[in-house]
Amino acid sequence: MAGLVHEPMLEMFIFETTQLVGQLEQLILESEQEDCFSRSAIDEIFRIMHTIKGSSAMMLVNEVSSLAHAVEDVFYFLREFPDVKLECASLSDLILSTVDFIKSELEQIKSGNQPVGSAEMLLQQLKAFLTHLKETNKIVGAKPHKEKKQQYYVPQSKAQAQPAARSFKASVFFEEGCEMENIRAFTIIHNLKAFAEEIYHFPEDIIEDDSSAEIIRDSGFHIACTTNCEYSEMQAFFQDTIFLKNFDLQEISDISEFKSSQTRKIEIILEDTPDTSVLTKKEDRVQEEKSSTQQSIISVSVTKLDKLMDLVGELVISEAMVTQNPDLQGLALNNFSKAARQLRKITGELQDTVMSIRMVPLSNTFQKMHRVVRDMSKKLNKEIKLELLGEETEVDKNIIENISDPLMHIIRNAIDHGVETSQDRLAAGKMAYGKVLLEARNVGSEVLVIVKDDGRGLDKTKILEKAKRNNLVYKPENELTDQEIYAFILSPGFSTKDQVTEFSGRGVGMDVVAKNINSIGGTLQINSTPGQGTTITLKIPLTLAIIDGMTIGVGSARYTIPTISIKQSFRAAPQSVFQDVDGNEMILIRGKCYPILRLHKYFGVKTEVQEISEGILVVVENENRSVVLFADALIGEQQVVVKSLPNYFKIFPKVDGLAGCTLLGDGSISLILDVVGLMRFGYSA
Amino acid sequence: MKRVLIVDDAAFIRLALRNMLEKNGFDVVAEAENGAIAIQKFKEYQPDLVTMDITMPEVDGIGALKAIKTIDRNAKVVMVSAMGQESHVKEAVINGASYFLVKPFKEEQVISTLTKILG
Repeated sequence: MAGLVHEPMLEMFIFETTQLVGQLEQLILESEQEDCFSRSAIDEIFRIMHTIKGSSAMMLVNEVSSLAHAVEDVFYFLREFPDVKLECASLSDLILSTVDFIKSELEQIKSGNQPVGSAEMLLQQLKAFLTHLKETNKIVGAKPHKEKKQQYYVPQSKAQAQPAARSFKASVFFEEGCEMENIRAFTIIHNLKAFAEEIYHFPEDIIEDDSSAEIIRDSGFHIACTTNCEYSEMQAFFQDTIFLKNFDLQEISDISEFKSSQTRKIEIILEDTPDTSVLTKKEDRVQEEKSSTQQSIISVSVTKLDKLMDLVGELVISEAMVTQNPDLQGLALNNFSKAARQLRKITGELQDTVMSIRMVPLSNTFQKMHRVVRDMSKKLNKEIKLELLGEETEVDKNIIENISDPLMHIIRNAIDHGVETSQDRLAAGKMAYGKVLLEARNVGSEVLVIVKDDGRGLDKTKILEKAKRNNLVYKPENELTDQEIYAFILSPGFSTKDQVTEFSGRGVGMDVVAKNINSIGGTLQINSTPGQGTTITLKIPLTLAIIDGMTIGVGSARYTIPTISIKQSFRAAPQSVFQDVDGNEMILIRGKCYPILRLHKYFGVKTEVQEISEGILVVVENENRSVVLFADALIGEQQVVVKSLPNYFKIFPKVDGLAGCTLLGDGSISLILDVVGLMRFGYSA
Repeated sequence: MKRVLIVDDAAFIRLALRNMLEKNGFDVVAEAENGAIAIQKFKEYQPDLVTMDITMPEVDGIGALKAIKTIDRNAKVVMVSAMGQESHVKEAVINGASYFLVKPFKEEQVISTLTKILG
């Protein structure tokens, strides 16, 4: 890419173009719903393509630029001829392919590669489409320009002036590669009119005839005029002309020579400047309306926000380090406590504000699913309606990035496996088209994202069979709840679909989905009613950076459990603990049996507390499975800032049960437990 | 230092122009992303020069040019156009645009154009 391009520009280019392409995609999909392109949609698509064309040309991403130009041409035509007959579906397909191409090129650029794709095919298709459009509508070549004579406006006073004293002849050449030579020539003539009277030039038609640009490029632009100016003044005029390579200026005795040899006079129509006052008034109004609704928004780079979040995290820790400083213990510090409370209040507010800055609505992610549904229903020949609810729900930016792919996969699964074909649906007494509902809503400090289809539902017996074959069943069959059975489809390599389709069914799906959701601290739940559909509920935290945690002690080590995973904690009577046939410790709580996981054993930490009755049991839960953790003592609940584990940590085998680490108020490090990871251990043991 | 207002609906082009201008000793006093805001910013800042995109939402570049020229007859407005917009550029020149740039533009071209226009 060009040398002048540096990081922030590249970032801006990618950011803006990605946004524009997203808008474009949305517009196309909306237009498809309404059967065809509306006037305003055509205008907007034209504008978007125009912007992409300009920006990518500046970045020297030429394939994208020429592709954008080709689309722009099509929509320019549609703008000029709003009544043409148009095959909307094939145009939509073409534009969406363009969108995909631009997206993939952007991906290339983002990952630091040279964009390599070739748009040749698409370009040909677009050109063919436009030609076909023109042919079927019997419009060949010409624009619908009213045959308007070239008109120039010069003030009356000037036109009535005395005959000019001198005649000049000039030939000018423009710099190579400056483009639009004819318009540059036009600018010269336009500026010359201020002090020249009769003006002749060659080539004559420099506006309507695009080939004139080429003539000027090759053989120059020739002008003759009469004026009262001196030679030096004329020279100065040409010298000041922009993009002029060189010029040749001569005083001539008779202008008619030039006239007869090359050209005819430009018609000058006597008229004063056109009245623009009406226009201006209208624009004033537009501007007033605009200024009242205009919001002052600035864009900030995400790295800065991340940094800010980090700093706030540090601040929260430092605040705890100061106010809970061990040196202060046992002292009566009334004024200090007051000031500390104030500090606590302000850091809290600051934290909320920074958090809210990072919040983005889910709408973009949700809107993307329209495209998924469209492509799927076309390929699989199923009629699907996608309904969105609560798109305005906001979550942290990092989380948005992590749920987009899982959501896409779930929706694909719903359409591919869930929703039946129209015939089957009608036979089952349902509407011919399938419905997929995508909903988001806030519940406390979490967001629920729900994908609901009205298809055939999950086949419990089939899932159970497959689970048995894969040795996944961990307790007697008749004790499994429906949800526990459905949860089997989240296991690696699990697919009951015999046929693998292009979109799903490769069996690498749902376990990856579940893993991604777990990695951001979320959970996934499946409900299904045979014949009526399946509902998948994602429960995701609002933010990743700061969580409520319960700190527990094991020997000299500190661990933090995310508070949302904790079901209860209690001190057990020694007789309530027993062992199963394999020697694993179990405990009976309200008639249910749970495995016990001794954290000191798991992490290899030395501790005095070995007797179950001396320590504390914490029941943690995930996806309706629970495990009981055994620790020395509860230390306290506080907000902790999640830091990722340093890389060297990952060489240790037991890292499975750790999600990260954090700093406590007294400056010591606490490891944050990964409940899902521990669960795996708890059940395999 | 010459004070410039940049008008373009593409943030990328605004940034590109701003970089080129600031590197060469111009003072970019404001940016606007459509014609309506441009008119308002022009009144507010009274810049020495305006770079004006043509295709924009709300009020387009030609509309904003006309309005700015009625506010200040001597305002210097340089149009930023792309290939295929010849007729718009012509209209702009008739309506008082000082000159025009063609995307993709190079730094030297931009600077020499603006310097000449500002005299």
